[in-house]
Amino acid sequence: MNAHNFIDKNKKITVTINGKTCHSTFGKTILQIARENDIYIPTMCYLTKVLPIGSCRMCMVKVDGVDGFILSCQEKATDGAVIYTQTDTLYKERQNIMKLYGVNHPLECGVCDKSGECDLQNKTTEFDIKEQNFTARDQARPVENWGHVSYDPSLCIMCEKCVRVSTEITGDEALQVKFGGYSSSIINVKKEKNYASLGEAAAVCPVGALVSTNFKYTSNAWELDKIPSSCPHCGGGCQMYYEVKRDKIYRVTNNYEFTSMCGAARFGFDYANQGVAKDAKAFEAAVKAFENAGSILFSSMISNEEAFILQKLKEKHGCKLISHEARAYQKFMQSYSRISGKNLYNGTLKALSESKGIIVLGSKINDDAPIVKYHINMASKWHRARVAYLHPIEDTEIKNIVTQFIKYEAGSEEGVAALLAEVLLQEAELPESIRSFLNDLDIGNLSAECNVGEEELFALKQSLSKKSGFSLVVGADLYAHPRAAHIAKIIALFEKYADFNVLCIPPAGNAMGVSLICELDDTIEGPTVGYNVLADFTLSALGGGDLDMPAMNQQEGTLTTFDKRVVPMHVALPYGGYVLNDIANALGLKAAYTIDYTKELPQSKGFKGIEFDRLPDSFDLVGNENRGYLLQSTEIKTDEMLEEVLDIEEFDGAVVYCCNAAEQFSPFTAKCDLLDNKTALWGSQQFAMVAKLQEGDRISFTIDGVCFSRMFKIDTSMKGTIALNPTFDMGLSSALLSSYRFSRLEFERVGRS
Amino acid sequence: MGLEQFKNRNIGTQTYRMLDLGQTPTRGSDKFKQVVKRTFKGELFVGLWVTLRAMINSLFRGELHTVKYPLEKLPISPRYRAIHDMLRLLESGHYRCIGCGLCEKICIANCISMNTRYDENQRKEVSEYTINFGRCIFCGYCAEVCPELAIVHGSRYENASEQRASFSLFEDMLTPIDKLSLQEEYDGFGAVTPYADDHIKKTPLAY
Repeated sequence: MNAHNFIDKNKKITVTINGKTCHSTFGKTILQIARENDIYIPTMCYLTKVLPIGSCRMCMVKVDGVDGFILSCQEKATDGAVIYTQTDTLYKERQNIMKLYGVNHPLECGVCDKSGECDLQNKTTEFDIKEQNFTARDQARPVENWGHVSYDPSLCIMCEKCVRVSTEITGDEALQVKFGGYSSSIINVKKEKNYASLGEAAAVCPVGALVSTNFKYTSNAWELDKIPSSCPHCGGGCQMYYEVKRDKIYRVTNNYEFTSMCGAARFGFDYANQGVAKDAKAFEAAVKAFENAGSILFSSMISNEEAFILQKLKEKHGCKLISHEARAYQKFMQSYSRISGKNLYNGTLKALSESKGIIVLGSKINDDAPIVKYHINMASKWHRARVAYLHPIEDTEIKNIVTQFIKYEAGSEEGVAALLAEVLLQEAELPESIRSFLNDLDIGNLSAECNVGEEELFALKQSLSKKSGFSLVVGADLYAHPRAAHIAKIIALFEKYADFNVLCIPPAGNAMGVSLICELDDTIEGPTVGYNVLADFTLSALGGGDLDMPAMNQQEGTLTTFDKRVVPMHVALPYGGYVLNDIANALGLKAAYTIDYTKELPQSKGFKGIEFDRLPDSFDLVGNENRGYLLQSTEIKTDEMLEEVLDIEEFDGAVVYCCNAAEQFSPFTAKCDLLDNKTALWGSQQFAMVAKLQEGDRISFTIDGVCFSRMFKIDTSMKGTIALNPTFDMGLSSALLSSYRFSRLEFERVGRS
Repeated sequence: MGLEQFKNRNIGTQTYRMLDLGQTPTRGSDKFKQVVKRTFKGELFVGLWVTLRAMINSLFRGELHTVKYPLEKLPISPRYRAIHDMLRLLESGHYRCIGCGLCEKICIANCISMNTRYDENQRKEVSEYTINFGRCIFCGYCAEVCPELAIVHGSRYENASEQRASFSLFEDMLTPIDKLSLQEEYDGFGAVTPYADDHIKKTPLAY
């Protein structure tokens, strides 16, 4: 991969494949060029999104002037090469490969889950395998249940796709090859927190060896309707298909050749609000509540269109719109754009995966945004990227990709950002005012306050020297920070003056869309109406509210993703009740369907006036994404005013950090049966001593008026005096949390269990 | 056989035997006489006797020519396609269906519906199976596609029911376990041909 650095990727080359002249650029493999030109080369182990595996040898081609065959998946095309992909000898070779795959492969297609979408089945038919002339002694290979996925070694063809995705994509390296010739198999070396790897592995498995345990033997692939959609959980808006039969979602799949999904997307699909009928009385009450509402509270689990409806209601009735997380993000980005000059950050996930140096600040990235972590991992695996992880809590889950962990004091994010700017922007061309701001920083004091050593920062600077292509990923710790506005400005310097690929990861849900569409307010006034938030009158897609609403997989609409892309969601399950649009219509707006608002989304914020039904949702043959559209960045007037860095409020003693476990994002994921929804206050031994708690103590504490009652549990992999407090299980109260994610723990003992 | 005799259309030279029908009355009085003669001579009872004789023969002498339908039925061809039967394995008594879903897929009337699950023995188990006989057109595709000869067409052809949508459950069609010994191997639609063995290509075995 390193060789990539020296290749002139812009050099034009011309090759002839099967007599067809193909133009491309140097550095691409023969297979890539063939696919670009719609020429078919059969493959078994090739997976576009990872590096070539080269275990199947099906993609062999004949190149003029070269003895023997060449693996087209690995070999880069040279200018003027004459390539043949279909010859009689190649056909016979490929036939023999397929026969070898068939040795002792159980003839149980009748019950196999993969039947109908199985690569082995397809290719065996394609190459007309009618008899078997090879043989090997069969061996006893029992099925292994790995939890979410079961592994049947006798069906496994050892293509190694699963191992590659767990290494190169999800990055937890859960799966490995156990070498042993004919008795090779795949082993699972990570027994816990392996959702994502197992889910990805099952998705890319070309045969029925890795299958979701929950789905296993419940339906044939061809009986399921594939409904294209986007995952609403973390805000990544990953491409997905709901696979539905008789009004039940059986599983979630994706376009696994090109995209990936985390465990929440793959296994968190059963959160629909089902069995709802139209309740006219509750509807009347809802309309009345909206008419009298002083404020509308809503969570980020909302589509762009619904957010737009609420904005229109605000314009019509003058009520306040309250969405804490999105509001914090909105303010952060407003401040950010005052420096960067654009209303959106410049970063993309693709650029992140191609970075050579990555800095993560203010986010427990593995839990907050798994898909971002995957892209960091890709950069780490493909480009040996240096990954600096700056956070008050060390995360053992990403130990293998983080090259430098810098621990700072909770609450000192402003100082850390300033220190980073001071160290990394030394060579950048800065305007006078900013340069003097950096020069005036009291480095010694800041570094002492933040508890970040100057030698650590120096080491970071050293490791990034002589490299190019940097990314900065910042997360939700910063947005609700009391000094968020100023932190945003410092972060924006990296985009504006150092050409960093900066990603400001929005909080879970569609917070980015909400922050762009709605004019949000800070304080609640008058009677409240809540949409998925507990209020005087509550609309709830979780059940238990005053009026039922459809969940995200029961409605059409668009989401805004980390990549600043507007992507469509489609209806997977029917919904019989009233929707927000019905209420809006009763209040004087006029739209037949919610999606009528798609084309009306504010173009001043970068949305395009495209109708919902015209939004594309596909990938081309080589994996270029063509889903929805990209938001257009708009120019913002800048003012380069930086303030002094303030002293931090000290967080000593026992501190809790509001952070959901991996694969949990909201009350909606909490509803899903397949996701681990055990909750506890997880802390280290040291935390237990500081807080004078013992394992099994039940305590209650209050954050932003939301009362948590938690069992305390010791996690031996953790260190320090900060405990993790999940918030996803708080139902309609989850979205009421608005303050900085770290807070001092003041608790009452409730008992022991 | 030649075609000469068919080509000879000259009916005048054939040797027909003419019936002696007597003279057809022409005068009114003659016609009246013929009517009276036929009415009172008892020719009516000649005809009635034919029916009566058949009745006596069938009722008292056991020479019945028809089937007493609801009480008895004619044997039908093994290829007849009536209400489905679900067969069991003769050795273990376990039902043969492996839940592959091919019958559900091939059914052109869309009347087969099934649910399967992962059972404790790591096998695919049929948890629900119904056929809507109000829709079934008895085409026989399901029996033909079944790789296990598990679903076959049986000989129950009385489909009258009180509702148009009359469903049949898996258990209704399954051979009762106590009648397993009476289960007959199916040789109708979709069954293996008598010479199937000759057409199988053998795979080399390593042991």
